Formats: sequence, C-alpha cells, structure tokens
Amino acid sequence: MTFMPKIDDAVLQVRDMHTHFNTDTGVVKAVNGVSFDLRRGERIAIVGESGSGKSAMAMSLIRLLAFPGKVVSGEIRIAGKDITRLTERELNGIRGKDVGTVFQDPMSSLDPVMRVGDQMIPPIMRHLEIGQKEAQAIAIEWLDKVGIPDAKQRIKAYPFEMSGGMRQRVMIAMALSCNPRLIIADEPTTALDVTIQAQIVELLKNLTAETGAAMLFITHDLGLVARFANKVGVMYAGRLVEFGPATDIFADPRHPYTQSLLRTIPDTTVAKRDRLLQIPGFPPDMKMPMVGCSFRERCAAAHDYCKSSAPDLEFRTENHYAACWLPAGLDGGKTAEDDAPKETAKSASVAPPPRQDVLEINDLHKHFVKKSMLPWAEPRTLRAVNGVSLRLNRGETLGIVGESGCGKSTVARMLLGLEQPTAGQIYIAGAAQMVFQDPYSSFNPKMKVFNIIEEPLVVTRKGTRAERAEKVRSLVTQVGLDQSYLDRYPSQLSGGQRQRIGVARALALNPSVVVADEPTSALDVSVRAQIINLLCDLKEQLGISFVFISHDLLTVRYISDHIAVMYLGEVVEYGPAAHVFDDPAHPYTRALLDAIPSPDPAREANRKIQLISGELPSPLSIQTGCAFASRCPKVMAKCRESKPPIKAFSKQREAACHLVD
Amino acid sequence: MLAYSLKRILQLIVTTLGVVTLVFFTLRLIPGDAASAMAGDTLSGEALQRLREQMGLSRPLGEQYFSYLRGLLSFKLGETITTGLSISSLLLSAIPITLTIALATITLALSIAVPLGTMAAFMAHKGYRTLDNLITGAAMLADLMPSFWTALVFLLLFSLTLGIFPASGTISLEDPRAFLMRLALPVLVLSVTQIAAMARITRTAVLEVLSEDYIRTARSMGWSELQVLFRHALKNAALPIVTIVGLSFGSLLNGTVIVEFIFTIPGIGSLLVYGINSRDYQLVQTLIVFYALIFVTVNFVTDLVYKKLDPRVQF
Amino acid sequence: MTKMFLTLRKQHWAFPPEFHLPRLSLPHLNQKMIIALVILVPILLLTTFADWLPLQKPLQTNLRAIMQWPSHVHPFGTDRMGRDVLSRTLAGVQLSLVVGFSVAFIAMSFGLFFGTLAGLFGRAVDRAIMTVVDIFLAFPSLLLAIGLVSIVGTGLGPVVMAISLADVPRFIRLQRSLVLSLRSRAYIDAARTVNASQWWLMTRHIAPNTISPLLVAASIAAAHAILVEASLSFLGLGIMPPAPSLGNIIRDGQTYLEQAWWISTLPGVVILLIAISLHFLSDGIREALDPRARK
Repeated sequence: MTFMPKIDDAVLQVRDMHTHFNTDTGVVKAVNGVSFDLRRGERIAIVGESGSGKSAMAMSLIRLLAFPGKVVSGEIRIAGKDITRLTERELNGIRGKDVGTVFQDPMSSLDPVMRVGDQMIPPIMRHLEIGQKEAQAIAIEWLDKVGIPDAKQRIKAYPFEMSGGMRQRVMIAMALSCNPRLIIADEPTTALDVTIQAQIVELLKNLTAETGAAMLFITHDLGLVARFANKVGVMYAGRLVEFGPATDIFADPRHPYTQSLLRTIPDTTVAKRDRLLQIPGFPPDMKMPMVGCSFRERCAAAHDYCKSSAPDLEFRTENHYAACWLPAGLDGGKTAEDDAPKETAKSASVAPPPRQDVLEINDLHKHFVKKSMLPWAEPRTLRAVNGVSLRLNRGETLGIVGESGCGKSTVARMLLGLEQPTAGQIYIAGAAQMVFQDPYSSFNPKMKVFNIIEEPLVVTRKGTRAERAEKVRSLVTQVGLDQSYLDRYPSQLSGGQRQRIGVARALALNPSVVVADEPTSALDVSVRAQIINLLCDLKEQLGISFVFISHDLLTVRYISDHIAVMYLGEVVEYGPAAHVFDDPAHPYTRALLDAIPSPDPAREANRKIQLISGELPSPLSIQTGCAFASRCPKVMAKCRESKPPIKAFSKQREAACHLVD
Repeated sequence: MLAYSLKRILQLIVTTLGVVTLVFFTLRLIPGDAASAMAGDTLSGEALQRLREQMGLSRPLGEQYFSYLRGLLSFKLGETITTGLSISSLLLSAIPITLTIALATITLALSIAVPLGTMAAFMAHKGYRTLDNLITGAAMLADLMPSFWTALVFLLLFSLTLGIFPASGTISLEDPRAFLMRLALPVLVLSVTQIAAMARITRTAVLEVLSEDYIRTARSMGWSELQVLFRHALKNAALPIVTIVGLSFGSLLNGTVIVEFIFTIPGIGSLLVYGINSRDYQLVQTLIVFYALIFVTVNFVTDLVYKKLDPRVQF
Repeated sequence: MTKMFLTLRKQHWAFPPEFHLPRLSLPHLNQKMIIALVILVPILLLTTFADWLPLQKPLQTNLRAIMQWPSHVHPFGTDRMGRDVLSRTLAGVQLSLVVGFSVAFIAMSFGLFFGTLAGLFGRAVDRAIMTVVDIFLAFPSLLLAIGLVSIVGTGLGPVVMAISLADVPRFIRLQRSLVLSLRSRAYIDAARTVNASQWWLMTRHIAPNTISPLLVAASIAAAHAILVEASLSFLGLGIMPPAPSLGNIIRDGQTYLEQAWWISTLPGVVILLIAISLHFLSDGIREALDPRARK
C-alpha cells in the first residue's frame, strides 16, 4: 500500500498509518493501517463508535498525540511534506498554518485565564509573519465571519464570558485564522445542543466552501455525516472498514458493520415500528493481537475464512471501498435478526385500551431562588419549570424533548419526589420509579448488583429474604442478563449492562410509571438500540407507562406515543408523536426538527432547513411575551407583548403560539 | 467581587473573634485557676490572692473578657509576670524577626520549588520518569523530616563541622551582615519543608494543566511544548500554588517556633517557650492569639490574590 | 449525546473516584503498600520484642560508658548518662506509634461523626459546626497543641488529646466535603425515590464510600501526629524525661551535638522512616482505591 499516486489537488494523503499507545499494561494499537486521500474542498467524515480509534487517527495526522501515543509507521503527506519525518520544530510551522484543528469540548478547549485575543493573535502574527495590528484586524475579521456579534469588543473577552456555542465559534475562527488548507474537526458539535449544533455545522460547511479548505470531520453521528460530508470513512477497531462517497455509503453500504450501524437508527419515515437492529457483543480489546477480521465475532455473515485472515479495503463501485470478504456484506448472507421472526411492536390502534390516566400534572412550577450575599441585592429567581401540565395514559409512553436547560429533568425529579414543586399538583396512580442517565454514577460502587436491585424491596420491607432473592433473580432475567451478574460489582459491567441493571432496579417495586431521564445518551449507538428495544419490550409485556426524557428526537419519536416539547420551563407543543413529528405546529418544534440531520444524504440535500439563530435566553430573566420570541423566525409584535397560553388546536394536539389557531 | 470580599471580611471577623474568645475561655478552664497553676506550691494564700488581683482574676468573668478585648484592641497587653516587662514592647521587637524569617523562607522556597516542580511535571508529562521520580522522592523525604532534626543536622554540618554560619550570637539590624548570617541557617532549615510542599503542589498543578484540552489547542496552533508551558501552563498553575503558600504558612509558623528555640533567636517562638516554662499564661495566651491572627490574615490575603489572578471572578 | 461522548472519551481516566474497594488480600497489595510494610513491620517487631533483645534497658544508666560511639553492644551508641540510645529509641518508637494511631483513630471518629452531621443535615447544624471548625483551623496545628499542652499539662494523655484536637477539624472538613459530593450521586437519588430513611442513606450509601478516603487521610494524620509529638517533646512540652520519647532523646543529645552526634541524629532517622512508611501506606491505599492514581 506504499504506492502513492500523485494527485494534484491532494491536500492530505495517508498511507498505512499505525498508531500505538505504549501503556504499562500493554500496547494499545489504536490505529492499524489507515490509508486515504483528501482533496481540496472535500469534506470527509470519519465515523465510528468510542474506542474505534477515530480520534487517535485524527490526532496522528498532526502528531498531536498525548503521551504515550506515537505514530509508529506509515506515511502522512500534508502539502507535499511527510509529517512522520518532520522534526517538532518543522511540525510547529505546519500546525495552525497548514492545518487548523477544532476540538470537541468548547468549554475546556480555550485557556480560561487568557483573553480570546491573546490566544488568537500571536499564532496569526507568527504564521502569517505580520505585526500585532494587522493580526488583530485579521482576528476580528474571523470572529465576525464566524458570527460573533460585536467582534471588536468580544476579542477582549475571557472564554468564561461566552456560551458553549460562542466558544466553539471562537475555536473555529482560531483554527481558520491562518488560512489552513486542511481543517481537522474532532467531534466539534458533540458537546452542543441540537439547534447550536446545526448552526455550527452550517458555519463549517459555508466556511470550507468559501476558503476551499479540505476538512476531516470526526463524528459518531451518522445523521451529521449525511448532512455534511462528501465522503465517508467508517472506522472499526483501528481500521477503515468502508470508504466512499456519502451518497453511496448510505444508499448501498457494503460492510456488515456499516450496514448494522445504519439499521440501529430509528427510521422515522415509516409509521410502523420495527424492532431496532442491535449489534451483539463488544468491540475487540485493542491490546490483543488481532488475527482475522476484527468484526467477525459480531458479524452475522462471518465464516471460517474471516478467522484466519483480515480483508483489505477492496474496490466495490467507483470510489467505494469495503474491507470484507463478502462483496455485498450482510446483504449477501443473512442478519442475526432475520433468524428470529420479525417482531413488530403492536401499534396502539390494534386494541386501544380505555383511556385511563396514570399520571397527571397540573400547572407545575419549580423556581429556584438564589439569594445574594449582599442584603440589599435582589434575590434572583431561576424559573426552571414554569407551568407545565401533562397527562399520561396507562401503557403509553410520553416523550419529553427539549434542549439542555429547558426544565425537562427538573420535571422528572419532581415526578419522583426528589424535588418539591413550588406550585402545582402531580397525581400518580400507583408508584413512579426512575432510570437514571449516567450508568457510571447511578450505582453505589460498594454494592453488588444483587443488593442494588434488592435495595428498593428492603427499604420498603417487601417480602421475606427468600422472596426478595426470587424477585431479584426474575428481574435480572427480565432485563436480559444472566443471573451470574448478580454477584458482580457495577465497575465490572459495561455501560449497556449497567443500564439494564438500572432498569431492573426501577422495576423492582412494580411501578405503574417509569421515568427514564436520558437513559441512552451515555451509550454508544449499537448499545443504545439494545436498551431501547428492552424498554419497548417491557412496555408491551408489563403494560408499564413510560416518561421518556431526551434531547435525541429520533429516539423519542421511535419510543413515544405522545410527545411534549419543552422550551424554557414550558411545554410549547403536545400531541401524538407521529403528528408532532410530521407536522410540527410550533416554530420551535419545527426548528428542533430541522436541526436534526437525518441519516440520508439524498434527503438532506433536498431538505429546506430553517435554522433558528441565537441561543437560549437566560432563565433568570423575566420576559413578558412568548418565551421563544427572541429566536423565533416568525416573530410578530404581539409575541413580545403577550404570552400565548398552551391550548388545543385539534382533537389531540396542543400548542402555545399565537400563529396556531 | 464586592459580595465575595464582604463575605470574606465577615468570615475574617467571625473567625478572629472566635479565636480570641476560644483562647480566653480555654485559659479559664485550668483546674483551680491560672494564678494557682502559675504559683504552684511556691506562694502562700495571701500572696496567691495578690497575684489573682494583679491578673484580674477576682473580677467577674464578663468584665475580665471585655477588659481583655479592650487590651487587645488598644495593644495594651499587660506585663510579664516574672520580669514585669511590657508584653506589647516584647511583641514589637519579636514579631519583625519571626516575620523576616518566614518571608525569607517563602521567597527562597518559591524561587527553588516552582522551577523544580515545573521541571518534574514537564518530564512526567513527556514520559521521562527518572528525573520526575527523583524530584518527587526527594520532595517527599524533605517534607517528612522533622524540622528540629533537620535543624540539628544542619547545625552539626554547617556550623559545628564546616563553620559557615554562626550557631549563636546577638541579633540586631546594626550589623546587617551578621544579621543575615545569623538568620541564614534557620531560613535554610525551614525552606527544606516548604520547598518540598511547594514543589509537590507545583508539579501536580502543572501536570494537570498540561493535560488540559486548551494546552492541546495551543499546540495545534503551532506552539512548542516549552512555549505552551510558559504561556499557558504556569499561568494556570499559579492559582493552586498561591493557595498552598497560604495554607503552608501554618506549618511555616510551627517551624519558626522550633528553629527560634534551637538557634536561640528572640522571635515570638522563643517568647512562647519562655512563657510556657515560666507559666506566664497571659503571655502565652497573647502569643497564641497573635500567631492565629497572622495565619488568618495571610490566608485572607492569598485568597484575595487568588481571586485577582483568576479572571473568572466577576468584578 | 453530549454527556455520552464526554463520559466515554475520558472513561479511562475519569472513572468515578469511589471505585469499589478490592478486598485487601495479598495479591492486592501494591508496590507502595509493600514498601510501607517492609519498613513498618520490622520496626513494629523490634519495638514489641524490645525486652527480649540483648540491650541495656531504656532507663538503666551506666556512668562508666557515657557517650560511646555506636558499636555492636550499643548499635546507636550511649548518651551522657551511659544509657543505650537504641533501646531508648525503641521505647520512644513504641510511644510514638501509640500516639500516632490513637490520634488517627480519635480524629477520624470525631471527623466521621461531625462531618457527616454537617454534610447531611440542614444549614443551621452545618453552619454551626463549620464556624467552630474554621476557628480551630485558624491556629497552626503545632501551636494549638502547644497552647493546649501548656494548659492541660504534659504526659501521654494530654499530648494525644492536644494533637487530636488539632486534627479533628481537618477530618470534619474532609468528611463534610465527601458527604456533600456523594449526596448528589444518582444512587442516593435512586434510594430516595423509594423513601429510604436518612439512616439508611447514611449507613448504606454514604459511610461506606467515605471510609476509604478517610483511611488515606488517617495514615497521613498518624505520621503527622508522630512528628508533632516529637516536636512537643523536643520543646520540653510533651513526654517528660526520663521517660524516653523520640523528641526528648533528640533534645537530650542537642547539647552534646559536637561530642556525640549519634544521640540526636539516629533517632531522627527512625522518625523519618516511620513517617515515610505511613505516607507510602496512604499512597498505597489511595492507589488501590482509585485507578486514576496509578501512573
């Protein structure tokens, strides 16, 4: 693979790159022979789950790996120079000048004790060899270009004075400030809310089109890829397993891993709910020597040949390569899911149960009052939840969506009695239990799984010891785990297994309502599908009602019967999931849906997207009119003066907007 | 900043008042009373009664407390029992000496510890563990050496064997050279512990900063590792270093008592030991209060410096 | 999705700090614990069985053999009254260890109690406890001990009491911050949703997760207490001669530093060794509990 064709407009050429981390416990082979080209103006997305080596690969390109990482072999050509052979000093002439980098977490990627200008200007002076004044002018120009209002003043600001979205804009301005030919963006939108994420993606797209820079975009979000990239590389266990034009990869994936990944995403275009495909097993341990194809243990089409030798990236169609012995991947063989009869979740219309509310919330408020140290200062009130009314039918799922800070988690905490409402009532027929977000902190690390699941029974003094043990065993089986797990500590389980334990604990007291607060957001896509399937199954089998809280609209749409959209502590739209999704009534719902990219490049290309500008106003400020007025594309004078109450506009749907009648 | 300063000043006042009150009432807990404890078996009943009156112990407790507070505020602190010298004037001559030792130690310690700790962190970050382990190990050893023992070893080595510094002699500012030579050894002894503590903190702080995301950002813009170290890492690591200077001032004050005792330096530490040995409770009480006040004030100042260095605090 | 990749990306070093406690069987002893035990165990054995060693008794004088160089009869030499320095040192170590472990135990127990109280119960209790803690922390620790000893008198009991009193506020503060950080954990919330009592939360969830960090702090506190006791005795305010303590042995030797350096220096080395081993022990426990510390 060391043959390197001369491509005139190649910005980046990578050949057989290997990156290793020499840790005390062994060599982690993070990147195992990656080769690809990137041309001027091209945008390549590298997709993969956590641990696939995609970030290590990106950092290897400019040799910015943290100790003990090292590029051990291969060739990386940027602007005709082989990066692997350069000295540190020569590299420093390339970093920032020829290659700009945007990192994941804008909150920590800027120096907190330095003004924005002091971080931006010196590299410009150095790389472009100009004076302080010109450099400052360039910095301001870039800040202006990335959409920082009042750039002249803001350049003197400290990062902490800006929101996450603004900081990411500053990062982008900095990365582009020396006109690099190549931009590496490592999950640049992962830490941001959906509406902000959409703004940043648009910005990157426009800027690269304008400057002609090539871009390498690392992400785990297939939707983003479809919206953004010309070409896609799929990484698994440190290798590219498929590479090709985005339209091709989405329409005709050839590698079993790509095929499976695409099927784990809930399809929102069809009304019928198929079970999500789940990829069994775990990615391989990168410290182990790898013989054969690294995906074979999770692959339904694997055969003996896959055990002994690993396939290389092979030509499939024009510019489309896949590393699999089977030319068509799974589609030639069969998938694991095909073995089982295809389970289709029963749609509610089959036998509609009599409407019976298990949960009713009336005009719920939660205000947090923060008193100042100064006795004469006005205490500040944070209106986290500001008049929410909802109800939930037995056996149904209510999805609550909204961006961070919209009050959805506070509602959940009040449902569970973890917070006392400032005003309003909650009625629950039966008991409510909760599945928590972070599978790493939701279990006492000193308790065994058995005791964790048993705890609610012990606390409420249910049954004898033997009865409780019996119940715990049946619960753990119910969530799809082996009973041998009961003897383990949480730290010995994977994220997906922990989340199953979390579900088992929530079911221990036979609740009528289970509140799940972002139960899948800390999980990788393939594991996420498992948990969603589990929740759907339980709903079917036990007739439990769910409140499913998430910012991930695709998942909410898939799992919910009704959806409530929250904005700044208020419900702005409520209705059956399909209706809200297909025909949103409130401008905010529409904006949210527009912000979410769908994993289909053809659809993305034709989509008319109306992005909302600006960011969430502070919940500390008290606004008269509509809460969304400051960002609404259809705002009228009336919206700023009077607040639209939420009201029914059809038999099943409600919205809080002056435009809806 | 205003709210914070006010809160901090309020805290300072409450703590100071607490310290003063605690010391006062603890002394009243002595079995019998301070006078009889002081006198031991040496005084007759009548003489003891006179002593009590001299110390004001025969007055009601509240009255004693307020006259004690008044005394502190007006810096009229009474006289020593045995020699009848004014405690205020003793303090005025002793405090500058102790503070000179303390400040000299901090200056010396910082100028050695910060480069040392930074070097160790930089080496550790780049994976060269030998030098890092060497510095970290030496720091741990130095940190744990009891200061009175270090003092004796230094005395043995530098004064008695090598004869570089004098072990005793008068202390006065008239002869600056002699003054410096006389204080050099105590400062060295105290620096050992301080260097160890500060080097450790510097190493931890710098190492932590070096693995922050913004360091990677700076590197991605083409700054070399050393440039990043000086432009970003030290500036951020300064915050924890300032904090530790404040906190380790307590152990520094502990140390001054011991070196003053060993090197017979007339600072507040020597005064304290003298006070205890002569059972002069009033003297001891006053001195302990002053030690606490110095410590509290230093922490207050470092706290404000910290807030000044950290732009994240709104003004 | 936001949290997900933050969590997973940093997973290898950002594990929850209260990783479950591995059973401390022999294979779990890490390098640092072994170093600590290699120093500590022989010292413990020597002090425990000091009576059976072929040494002169600690208090026995021999005026015909004063200030003798270290030799095979007197490995640490003799002092101005012809007493055996090693045998006195061993007796002193015994006392140091008693002081160290008593102080660590007392400070930890009080810290556990009041710290939990401050962290778990309402603002008034918290504010009251923390105000008192702040006042005590305003005194440099040795000076607080000196002040207390000057009042309650010298000897083992008062010394232990004085040093403990200086350490208790530190433990209260530590325990309080541990409780506060645990209080917002999701597993506490999970227990609260089934109406678990405060007592249940405290005994099942909070206390077990604070014990380990407290133990780490306690072994440092033991080392510190040994140093403070030695300092007090050195100043003549702790254990009074002729009863041997490492501090007063060193003080005894100070006058004869030029003629008999070994009286002061060798016991100091022993203090240093004990302090080092306790620090290694603390680091070792910390490492066993927190995979992040392993580097």
